[in-house]
Amino acid sequence: MSVLAEKLVTETAAKAHSGADDHQSIHDWGRQRLMQHGFPDLKTEEWKYTPLRVLEKREFQDQPGTATTLPSWPVEGVVLHFDHGILSIDPATLPEGVKLTPTPSDALNKKDYDQIYGQREGAFAWLNLAQFQQAWHLEITGEQTVIIATTTSGAFEAQVHPRMVIDIASNASLNLIEYQRDLGQGLINGTCEINVAEGAKVEHLICRQNTESVWIQRTDVDVAKDADYRVVAFDQGGRLTRHDLKVHVKGSGANGEIDGLVLLNGRQHVDWHTEIAHCVGQTNSREAFRFLADGSSVGVLNGRIHIHADSDDSHSDLNTANLLLSDDARINIKPELEIYSEEVTASHGATIGQLDDRSLFYMQSRGLSEAESLALLKYGFAAEPMMQIQTPEIRDWVLGQLKEVL
Amino acid sequence: MLKIKDLHVSVDDQEILKGLSLEVGEGELHAVMGPNGSGKSTLGYTLAGREDYEVTSGSIEFEGEDMVEMEPNERAAAGVFLAFQYPVEIPGVNNAYFLRAALNAQRKARGEEEVDGVNFLKMVRASLTELEMDESLLKRAVNEGFSGGEKKRNEIVQMAVLQPKLAILDETDSGLDIDALKLVADGINRLRDGKRSFVVITHYQRLLDYLTPDKVHVLSDGRIVESGGPELAHRLEAEGYGHLERASA
Repeated sequence: MSVLAEKLVTETAAKAHSGADDHQSIHDWGRQRLMQHGFPDLKTEEWKYTPLRVLEKREFQDQPGTATTLPSWPVEGVVLHFDHGILSIDPATLPEGVKLTPTPSDALNKKDYDQIYGQREGAFAWLNLAQFQQAWHLEITGEQTVIIATTTSGAFEAQVHPRMVIDIASNASLNLIEYQRDLGQGLINGTCEINVAEGAKVEHLICRQNTESVWIQRTDVDVAKDADYRVVAFDQGGRLTRHDLKVHVKGSGANGEIDGLVLLNGRQHVDWHTEIAHCVGQTNSREAFRFLADGSSVGVLNGRIHIHADSDDSHSDLNTANLLLSDDARINIKPELEIYSEEVTASHGATIGQLDDRSLFYMQSRGLSEAESLALLKYGFAAEPMMQIQTPEIRDWVLGQLKEVL
Repeated sequence: MLKIKDLHVSVDDQEILKGLSLEVGEGELHAVMGPNGSGKSTLGYTLAGREDYEVTSGSIEFEGEDMVEMEPNERAAAGVFLAFQYPVEIPGVNNAYFLRAALNAQRKARGEEEVDGVNFLKMVRASLTELEMDESLLKRAVNEGFSGGEKKRNEIVQMAVLQPKLAILDETDSGLDIDALKLVADGINRLRDGKRSFVVITHYQRLLDYLTPDKVHVLSDGRIVESGGPELAHRLEAEGYGHLERASA
């Protein structure tokens, strides 16, 4: 058994506490696959820029953290607060149109996880399946705003494996904010499936700012006919962050969009693996991602557009522009286009550069100090992906945070 | 106002200015003319404090203060403004936000009260109207997607809002059609109040038809080789710079 498997594959919390495991069979399945495939290393193509040494060195302690507080939100909505992995409200009190229930084992057992997670590259999704404590099912009808806040305190040194499926009903509309603040030194390893039914609309914000934690997340999104899914990520990193975001555009007239901004400093390491798959024709997608890397941080973006066979009239564009702010920072960018249909348009562009000295001088010559000029230049570069946030209050909230940190 | 004595400036270890001396009094407008590569833009950048333009000897005094060691923003706050030959595009930075931030940074450095959004807009709108620029330019990123003429006019708008004591205009006339040239010249003339001084760097005499300089200087191979009144500009226009190059050869 590998070092990671020894550390991470343990008795589930439920079994340790009550002696029973309601999800025994699915947990066993996950554990068996994880042992079979193993954890990735630098020879695993999908993980070649992201070593797991930090995780291997980490000692996990199952001790309770202190309760965390949440900020004031820019919009009214249902707040699902997972404090150290534990839901802090009673799901029965949620308003009409927002239904949160535990997923029964038989529903979980029906999925073809081998096809979804693959092998070694999906080790952490298998780990989640082996270790999750509760699999939540969130059902949305009508027009809703939901904030899923996942927070930990500085004392947190445990591992938590959040698991959720979100179903957005046909023609429903969801404004979803995932707010993630992990101040501890443990592991959060989440998986989330989002199913956007026909004609539904989802505006999704991922707002993450961690410190020393390891945060690994997988988000699988299915977008049905005439549905619209747009996600904007504002990621301020952590010690190690890996996010696999897969958007499957599955019905004609569907649209999928990914915008992202990653701000890195110190010795942070953030790896985004994104995929937009056009499974049918008459579909659109676009992706724009920006990294600003300072200190000795490392940023990784693997952006993939996959247009399946018989998906004519698919249109996609992937663009990434990145700034290295120090000599020791590194950014690894890999755009991939995989196209099996003839009548499509797909393009990609990638740049990595440094702040322009001429711009800096121009701003200073108008009276701004070097620090003010740098901050404004960085803000100008960083704000662009955030302008894709459709709700003005949420956009201003994020831009306010951005101004504060630059 | 400005006293430059025996100024030597190197860029990447290559000496560009080789003993330039120039004095500009309060309220005066001096034109600096000269052929390509004579050091005109180097003079502008050096006065504004560009980092890689190294003053190896000589002095620059602005209102009696040594300017050589001052940062570019300190020079701006002291009242020095450079209108760039090639104004820089700054994607993502709103034009109005930038200009107000610059104005207030200068005011703060001088111990003055900051200008609020309403008063700032009044100031900038007046300048935009005078320069026949669309107000929508304020909402766009600094110089991004501006035409060549719009960029140059935007420099004059910035100058009008920032109200410097000394404005250095580096080939502000290049790339302008005759109508835009008049607008820019009018913008400069409106700011001539008997106290504010100007150094107008140009290749051609045509801008000087509208500005009436107090003095005209000819820069060649890093030095001022000839100075005179407005008639010197006319002579250069007729004769060109060839005789200077022959003389220096």
